[in-house]
Amino acid sequence: MSESRVTSLVERKNMQAKWTGERDPWEAFRQVEVITLELTQSYRHSLGKYSRFFLELENGRFLGTRCPTCHKVYAPPRPLCPDCLSITAWQELPGTGTVQTFSVMHFPSLVNDDVRRLETPITLAYVLLDGGSTLFPHVLKTAPESVHIGMRVKVAYAESPVQHPIHLMYFVPLEE
Amino acid sequence: MTDRTPMVIGVGLTPFASNREDCNVRDLAVEAVLDCVRDAGIENLDAVEHGLTSYESDHFNRQMTLGAILHDTLGLNPTPNVRVEGGGATGALALRTAWAYVKSGLCDSILVYGCETNGKSIASQTANQLFALSADVDWEMMVGGTYTAFYAAMMRVHMEKYGTKREQFAHVAVRNRRNAAANPYAQRPMEISIDDVLNSRSIAEPYTLLDCSLLSDGAAALLLATEDWARQRSSRFAERPPVAFTATGCGTDTMRLGDRYPHLTNFAGKRAAAQQAYRSAGITNPLEEIDVAELYDSYSGVEIQAVEDLGFVPEGQGGPAVADGIFDHDGALPVNTSGGLLGRGAPVGATGIAQAIEVVQQLWGEVIPERQIHNARRGLTDTHAGIGTICVVNIFERQD
Repeated sequence: MSESRVTSLVERKNMQAKWTGERDPWEAFRQVEVITLELTQSYRHSLGKYSRFFLELENGRFLGTRCPTCHKVYAPPRPLCPDCLSITAWQELPGTGTVQTFSVMHFPSLVNDDVRRLETPITLAYVLLDGGSTLFPHVLKTAPESVHIGMRVKVAYAESPVQHPIHLMYFVPLEE
Repeated sequence: MTDRTPMVIGVGLTPFASNREDCNVRDLAVEAVLDCVRDAGIENLDAVEHGLTSYESDHFNRQMTLGAILHDTLGLNPTPNVRVEGGGATGALALRTAWAYVKSGLCDSILVYGCETNGKSIASQTANQLFALSADVDWEMMVGGTYTAFYAAMMRVHMEKYGTKREQFAHVAVRNRRNAAANPYAQRPMEISIDDVLNSRSIAEPYTLLDCSLLSDGAAALLLATEDWARQRSSRFAERPPVAFTATGCGTDTMRLGDRYPHLTNFAGKRAAAQQAYRSAGITNPLEEIDVAELYDSYSGVEIQAVEDLGFVPEGQGGPAVADGIFDHDGALPVNTSGGLLGRGAPVGATGIAQAIEVVQQLWGEVIPERQIHNARRGLTDTHAGIGTICVVNIFERQD
């Protein structure tokens, strides 16, 4: 590649026609230049009507929401019961529960600093909280080989600062 | 009044590849559409009354309003355009939308084209993050979940409840990549063994690398029109067996897997979509009455769940049925003859259209002999978004 005055240049090359048969109709269009484009942005992301869940995590309390019509308890919370279209009420749950399914992830997502700090493998557990009706997905911190469907777990609260408030909690095995 | 059921007039495809850096997303659409024009036996696009852009991944391109850009690039102005997006189901939802446009009389002909640069334009770890934006970001993604893990968690319950085995879904990973070897346009044909799948590195247990589908660059186009339009405009319409897009079904499910508790093993939205499509097409025994199908094998085990939800076998029996070879090329109902998402590839906006193209070409008898299913008269495509969050089932039938 000759010297270029394009600082974002990745590559310049002459491509071969791999798929177009004997005569390449795009013969005059085979010089290719690849450059890098950047896009960095931050969002002012409101947690909206779900906010109290996160605020209470900081107080060491785990909240779901309860539908006044069908009595279903949502954890994660839903401000609106999708079955009844009723506005729900906050309800504290004890934070204990049972693993209903899980996956041990060997490649971390890089979604935020909290996840980046986790050591792989990471267990993503779907937990039916005692008193709840839906499954709450979160990281279960324990030896992956000990995890099984039916395992008893509880919510633990983070002691060090976190970037995203969902990481104020995680699951750990419940010793009963 | 003449029947307005849309006929398939022509199809066009680019090869699917991990890196088509000789093309940007516009160039890919152009290649597929030129191929479609040629195949349809029409001189140009002047008589086409509507364009429909099938495109999902805005974050993969530094260009929004891709519907308008592509429509312009293809010289379709001033005809109307609509862009359709429905996650992984985008291509199939695009065709479903086009079906309604023709059926309703809004237009007599519509060019549906989908394209995507999901291959190497963004690093695969970033790509997985961007796709994760189509999960419930606040509750599933921020904790560190990945799509592979969501699917894996479903499969674990399927294994626990029905005794489904890793070897059974590995069969899908092996077969679809082998099928891809008979498709010159496939991204990743491979001759591998079940042990190769089981021993490849674990991504999210129980899924290994070879259980996972591909990130791809590619485009696909399909021209739908009424029979009257086709007879007047297409020089090839009378040359080959007429194939109609006879029925379409769509169903949905919750974003989060956990909200489906206690029903975690299968795709309820897919079941609903299939039932609608079958009702509309008059199908009562799909395993007997469908000759060829392209199923959404985003992960190998998903095909096992799909054969159950599409009613080919009862729930829980997908694993043994797949391992018995019922859905292999020489089986009772060959599926993913193209290679599927595992072997052919998955440029999202093009995927559902490419699935339809494989089925239509099978019905026309126009795929290469090693891949051709003899005397196929009715075919189905199964496409979904998320973890079965939006599901679309489309049915194509020979009319002769």
